[in-house]
Amino acid sequence: MSEPLLRTVGLTRHFRVGRLFFGRTLHAVDDVDLTIGSGEIVALVGESGSGKSTIARLLARVYKPTRGEIYFEGRPLSRLRSRRQRLAYSSDVPMVFQDPYSSINPAYRISHGIGRGIKLHRRDLSRGRRTEEVERVLDTVGLIPPRDVLRKFPYELSGGQRQRVGFAQALAFRPKLIIADEPVSMLDVSIRIGILNLMSRLREREGVSFLYITHDVASARYIADRVLVMYAGHLVEEGPTEDVLQRPKHPYTQLLVSAVPDPRAPLGISDEKDVGEPPKVIDPREGCRFQPRCPYAIATCEQVTPVLRELGPRRLVACHVAEADSQDRTGNPETVGDEPPPLSAEARA
Amino acid sequence: MSSVGATEPLGTTPTGPALQVAEARRGVGADLWRAVAHNRKAVVGVALLTFFLVLALFPGQIAPDDPMAEIYSPGLGPSIHHWFGTTAYGQDILSQLIWGTRQSVVIAFAVGGLATAIAVLVGVSAAYLGGIADGVLSLITDVILVIPIFPLIIVIAAYEKNAGLFTLVVVLGALGWSYGARQLRSQTLSLRNREFLEAARVRGERRFYVIIFEILPTMTSLIVASFLGAALYAVLFAAGLQFIGLGDPNSQSWGTMLYWAENNEALGANMVLWAIMPGVCVALLGAAFAFLNYAFDEISNPALRMRNLDRTRVSARRDLGFADVPLDSEKILEVRGLSVAYATHRDPVVAVDRVDFDLARGEFLGVVGESGCGKSTLLYAIAQLLGPPLSGEITEGQVIFKGRDMVTLSQRELRHIRWREFSVVMQSAMNALNPVLTIAAQMRDACEAHSGMSSKEIASRSKEVLRLVSIDPIHLDSYPHQLSGGMRQRAMIAMALLFTPDLIIMDEPTSALDVVAQRSLMVQIKQLQERLGFAAIFVTHDMSLVSHFSDRLLVMYAAQVAEFGETAQLFDKPLHPYSRGLLEAFPSIRGPKVELLGIPGLPPDLARPPAGCRFSPRCPHAIAECRVTEPRLLEVDGELVRCLLYENGARLDDHIVDTAMAVSPEAAG
Repeated sequence: MSEPLLRTVGLTRHFRVGRLFFGRTLHAVDDVDLTIGSGEIVALVGESGSGKSTIARLLARVYKPTRGEIYFEGRPLSRLRSRRQRLAYSSDVPMVFQDPYSSINPAYRISHGIGRGIKLHRRDLSRGRRTEEVERVLDTVGLIPPRDVLRKFPYELSGGQRQRVGFAQALAFRPKLIIADEPVSMLDVSIRIGILNLMSRLREREGVSFLYITHDVASARYIADRVLVMYAGHLVEEGPTEDVLQRPKHPYTQLLVSAVPDPRAPLGISDEKDVGEPPKVIDPREGCRFQPRCPYAIATCEQVTPVLRELGPRRLVACHVAEADSQDRTGNPETVGDEPPPLSAEARA
Repeated sequence: MSSVGATEPLGTTPTGPALQVAEARRGVGADLWRAVAHNRKAVVGVALLTFFLVLALFPGQIAPDDPMAEIYSPGLGPSIHHWFGTTAYGQDILSQLIWGTRQSVVIAFAVGGLATAIAVLVGVSAAYLGGIADGVLSLITDVILVIPIFPLIIVIAAYEKNAGLFTLVVVLGALGWSYGARQLRSQTLSLRNREFLEAARVRGERRFYVIIFEILPTMTSLIVASFLGAALYAVLFAAGLQFIGLGDPNSQSWGTMLYWAENNEALGANMVLWAIMPGVCVALLGAAFAFLNYAFDEISNPALRMRNLDRTRVSARRDLGFADVPLDSEKILEVRGLSVAYATHRDPVVAVDRVDFDLARGEFLGVVGESGCGKSTLLYAIAQLLGPPLSGEITEGQVIFKGRDMVTLSQRELRHIRWREFSVVMQSAMNALNPVLTIAAQMRDACEAHSGMSSKEIASRSKEVLRLVSIDPIHLDSYPHQLSGGMRQRAMIAMALLFTPDLIIMDEPTSALDVVAQRSLMVQIKQLQERLGFAAIFVTHDMSLVSHFSDRLLVMYAAQVAEFGETAQLFDKPLHPYSRGLLEAFPSIRGPKVELLGIPGLPPDLARPPAGCRFSPRCPHAIAECRVTEPRLLEVDGELVRCLLYENGARLDDHIVDTAMAVSPEAAG
């Protein structure tokens, strides 16, 4: 297999919480192996507190990993020594933030953030070319006319327009991979689709890969090629988008899918009783972290931490009870959410 | 041009508070000038300061005499030659005042500059660096803050006999920065987690750049305020010190004049103006800085520029009086022709435009629409929560709740029925809950304010309502920050249920939550509603969210009702093009994958709504008439819809065939 664009091996990040001598360890991300191919849109889904944003910040080098390594184009990030090498990486892998109202400095015109990025990362451009480039990226993200937009202040733009500015800032770096951390969750529903379309066209036209982080699986289905599902710091399921969302195997993925409001489908009832939320993983013991909320938990789940195993082509699931497609006893591979999941007889007993 | 995705042309300005300042096209300079010219405090401050600056710069040209020359008769009264008379030494008081200006102005600016520089350095570094650096710097700041400055300066000045200008500036500057530093520190702390700083770091900026060029510019108003405050303090302190003789007695300054006047008992010796005028000058210069400080605050913070509605520009509100409304036991709420306007510095903005609807007992009404369409304002108007700090006002219409017109009720009467008969759940529980009180304490406060329950009753009722929303009553002793987002929202709903009201008004209570928490909260609200029988008004921008929960839907666009009908029917066969757009705006988890376009463009600026149909600039089916004629609400299939395409029994779908080719290019982007 050829080397993917980005690959993590055993990526782990812990935070110390509490006082000096009674400190405990918050496991934000534990042993995550993920890959992102060139020109691929990968969705990382999960609820708040599941560690998605920590992964984004590890990849953007805001945090250093506690353990594990990130390889970008085959080279480990821990070997980046000089400021020039680090700058080169940040221009290859920029990040778009969640809150369009706090991610742009309110004191500057729109041109500031984009222009700074170009100045830092593309030093060879003359001042005139720099302005042209600012106009080009604004035009590319659909902020027209760019000449007017770049002179505006952030408060003059709507939330959707600001989020486009965020993408323009990232594009100015000529990136290979954009990390988009919940870029639409704070926008009106009617605006979201425009941003999603923007991402998939940027991939088509500029060949940029995306790591799209979200808790909205429907939007992940709309643009992503592959889906990674996170729960409490662990990757619990991954695979091609349609496969995972139409036939979710991990009970948590099933819960996520069934929670999507969909007027075109009857009300799912599987989650009515579930008022739980992802736990903060502090000094965890062995065992599946979803087990307290899981309707199918068996004795093993309390003692052995499940690891990702292959259940079907390119499908990985970290669950003791989930089974491969061939052993699916529901007999209806197209069912989602409302139907019982494909589980072993042992679990149902 | 290679634009990608649904573009958002910038022809329309966003609505909301930004509107009040969104005029940067003419350049910042012109804006600033206009803001200053419109602010009375700014005008007075600038005029005073300019006056003193001119005096300080050109005393030789302005003053009639040499201030030190003892050439006149001592103790003359005011006259045409000596406006303020002469001193006991025969010097012209006016000339002394003019020459004295220079020192006060120099002290003000030098101390202001020095103190602000130290404040910025200490405050911002402490907050940004954090950890031990923050601890040490904050400690120093706090120590300086509690030192009684005046006695200390007297002690220092006593060592430095006849302290010159330089000593004064250094001493005042070194002691006057702590207040500003504390403010700047807390401001920086609140900025530290803002994403634009993180964005700068991810971009690869150095720490130095982030502090100087990303943090400082956002704090301009605070830095200016700190400068003006320090300048004011310097003028007063310097005059005070010189007055008690701690300055150089031969210097020319207002404080020194006071010192000599006092030594010669000017007040008793018929040289009153010798003693009074320097004081007046100190006060005026101080006032100049104070006025500028206030003015700057108001100009940089539009929220402080509250205005009253200019009634001549809004259609006059009818004299409502007590409405003679027959009590309809089935209807709990009737909204009749309700209009709300916000005052701005230009024309008033009508955010709710003649909205009518009824709500039956136990009914669940969803109110949907994009941000800036007036749905939250409608909700505030119904709950009678408009008024400071919101500058909105009901200009027309009635809100009849259980037979009473709430618009005409006094605050006291409203207080009586709020919580008990209707309650409100806001969007962000973290902002609505008091962070320093436990859940139990907040429930107790609410109960005590609105009823005469005993503390035992309160405790048992609090437990009961928490159980209703599936929160373990042990969380009564928790503080809001100890609860997760979903639990906080459920606690808010529990508080709204304390008195089992007949109506609960909810403003996007789930929008800050993840899908799973959101779904379980929605299911729970619906179950509670069915069990307890309250009516609910639920505002959201996400139409799909209420699809399974609301009985009827009110779709709002640009302050007006666009469509109103049964939820199931509206989802099956949406009539208004806007409802269709909203419904097709989000991807589905099931079914075939189709490319969606959403609704291109933005809701209009409510200060200048488009002519004709307000949705026409974004409407894919708009015909020429839509841009001219304002549509009325039509009854179609038992629903109400505001669309010209349904006039005379026509249907939207009849038009789609005709207009499919003629989709307006700017709306489609």
